[in-house]
Amino acid sequence: MAETPVADIHPPYLYPDYNSTRLRAPSQPLVRVAPSPLETAGPAFPKQFVKDSEADLTTWGRSAPLGEKMVLVGRVLDEGGRPVRRSLVEVWQANASGKYPHPVDDHDAPLDPNFLGKGQLLTDDEGRYRLVTVKPGAYPWQNHAFGWRPAHIHFSLFGNAYAQRLITQMFFPGDPLLAIDPIFQSVPEAGRSLLIAVLDLEHGIEGVALGYRWDMVLRGPRATPMGV
Amino acid sequence: MAKPTPSQTVGPFFARELLWKDGGTVLFAGRGERITLTGCVFDGVGAPIFDALFETWQADPAGTFPSGDDGARPYGYGRVSTDRDGRYAIETMMPGPFKGPGGETYAPQISVSIFARGLLKALRTRVFLAPLDAIKDDPLARAIGDTTRLRTLIAARDPRDPKIYRWDVRLRGAGEAVFIEL
Repeated sequence: MAETPVADIHPPYLYPDYNSTRLRAPSQPLVRVAPSPLETAGPAFPKQFVKDSEADLTTWGRSAPLGEKMVLVGRVLDEGGRPVRRSLVEVWQANASGKYPHPVDDHDAPLDPNFLGKGQLLTDDEGRYRLVTVKPGAYPWQNHAFGWRPAHIHFSLFGNAYAQRLITQMFFPGDPLLAIDPIFQSVPEAGRSLLIAVLDLEHGIEGVALGYRWDMVLRGPRATPMGV
Repeated sequence: MAKPTPSQTVGPFFARELLWKDGGTVLFAGRGERITLTGCVFDGVGAPIFDALFETWQADPAGTFPSGDDGARPYGYGRVSTDRDGRYAIETMMPGPFKGPGGETYAPQISVSIFARGLLKALRTRVFLAPLDAIKDDPLARAIGDTTRLRTLIAARDPRDPKIYRWDVRLRGAGEAVFIEL
């Protein structure tokens, strides 16, 4: 069966420069099986599971959050280019100072009372999404000396089938920290550009917010019936 | 064909963002006997993985795939994080067997995805809620072949409480669970 060589796109489990993989990556090869019919079906998220306001991360507080406001637009497609419709997309991110409101984040940077860094939405009938947020800050981590994570937004996608489930991260163009980030660098070179948004000013808000665009592609026909 | 978006780790900072209220209680359209799948997730030196996201997707007791929701959450899907001891617990219903497109029978099973810091891709597998002799014709059991490895995917019924199925997951090293590529 002709397939996209996923090994050339996805990172390996074991990537020693990212220390945490060393004790968590399986040592045995994966067993390759066809998705079961259960796995080509998937959970149905009711419309009321998300509120429209959850696609705007900048309106949760009493005033605007700190940072560079941005609009991110894009589409979720399958490998055949078909839209992945009405599927759940969840996002979370650090604030503009590079701080998460999470108990294990010990980075000495300020929390922003007007920014929770969490959102979700359902794609529309064309697979499109639109998110309003602020650009997250970079932050240091303990993986290696002078290690800093480049600015990134976490994405969690359900697609239309369990086999399409994906968690990933979106990065920003021109970020010099990408070159020293083992998490980003774990992706084979052919796949790295797929994780970087492009500047798309016209999707921003004139005088208010920068525009970016980023499309996501979930695995396709092998896993899902046509057209879902 | 468009290239798929590469996977990245869920990282350590997800819990509050991704967890659902009562995400460990799996909902279904119908009523039936409830069971609990529980156990711990361990790393390559046997230390508990306390920051994993553990998700489940399964058929209902009749072997039907859940397609609806209760107005707030989808049927059939479980979502929890592991605790300090690496423990997860999914309170659900016993999945029934179901047929594949070629007429093959899938034994009672739950599809599992594990995400965590240090996992650049989800670990996916299927846990069987039936003893070894009842799953031999299952497509995954056949693909694995080796009985010792297959046993890493069989949840053990608790002798004191038959409603509890125990399944520990070792990601690496001795007793490493079988993980699958779909």
